[in-house]
Amino acid sequence: MAVGGTRSKAELDAQFAELYRTHLRDVYSYAYYRVGNHHDAEDLTEQTFLQAYRHFERALRESEGRPLRPWLIRIAHNLAANLYRDRSRRPQAPLDERTDVAAPHSTEELVSGRDELVRVLEGVMQLPDDRREALIMRFALEMDNREIARALGRSDGATKVLIHRAIRQLEGIVTRAEGVSA
Amino acid sequence: MTGAGDVERLLRRALAPVEPPEDLVGRLRNGLQSISDAAAEELEGWERAAIRDPRRWVRPGIAVIAGGAAGVGLFVLGAMRRRSRD
Repeated sequence: MAVGGTRSKAELDAQFAELYRTHLRDVYSYAYYRVGNHHDAEDLTEQTFLQAYRHFERALRESEGRPLRPWLIRIAHNLAANLYRDRSRRPQAPLDERTDVAAPHSTEELVSGRDELVRVLEGVMQLPDDRREALIMRFALEMDNREIARALGRSDGATKVLIHRAIRQLEGIVTRAEGVSA
Repeated sequence: MTGAGDVERLLRRALAPVEPPEDLVGRLRNGLQSISDAAAEELEGWERAAIRDPRRWVRPGIAVIAGGAAGVGLFVLGAMRRRSRD
């Protein structure tokens, strides 16, 4: 029960549990496509929720009722950036050597057009970090421009341009890859 | 040749949401436990001195709050884990 604008521990924990239940798959999906393997994705997801738990009350207070998904994804984004800074690299393993990339997709999808999907995933991995992240948020998490803008700390307009340019660049990469494989 | 519309269609399929592994909830529970343990250790180191000196009551107080919150969080996540197993 909220008293004088503050929340009880039980209320906070119930809200955190709801946040966790609602967005675990979002955070995990973001982490998986961001880092490229399940092992690091699990670590990143775990660290994201632990960090979120430590700062949850403040986030609730400052969100003023707005959804907290962009905040969660921003935590994951910052942690992923730190991970690659520490390791001085970004994910570079060829997708066709990463058998686990196929895991999220159905057998039907794998049979029909697996080459197309692999080309698109390879193309996504070649994009600059900000463009790649924007596409992950849009297509894996189905976030709208406003949510993506909040997660990336950009304006709505800049985010719209970012996504447009990312799709155009990816289109060029995929088209070139099709030309090479034809 | 792949157009922008095609790329968006392919992106929706290529970037399908990924279900997290079942044991991730357990790992999170352990992580929250470590927050709770750290808070308890903090208390052990400060409680004797703090009880005698009111100027030092703030830090152990924070540890109590952190440990308590993590404890309830553990309970919540534990309950969720049990529910997901049922």
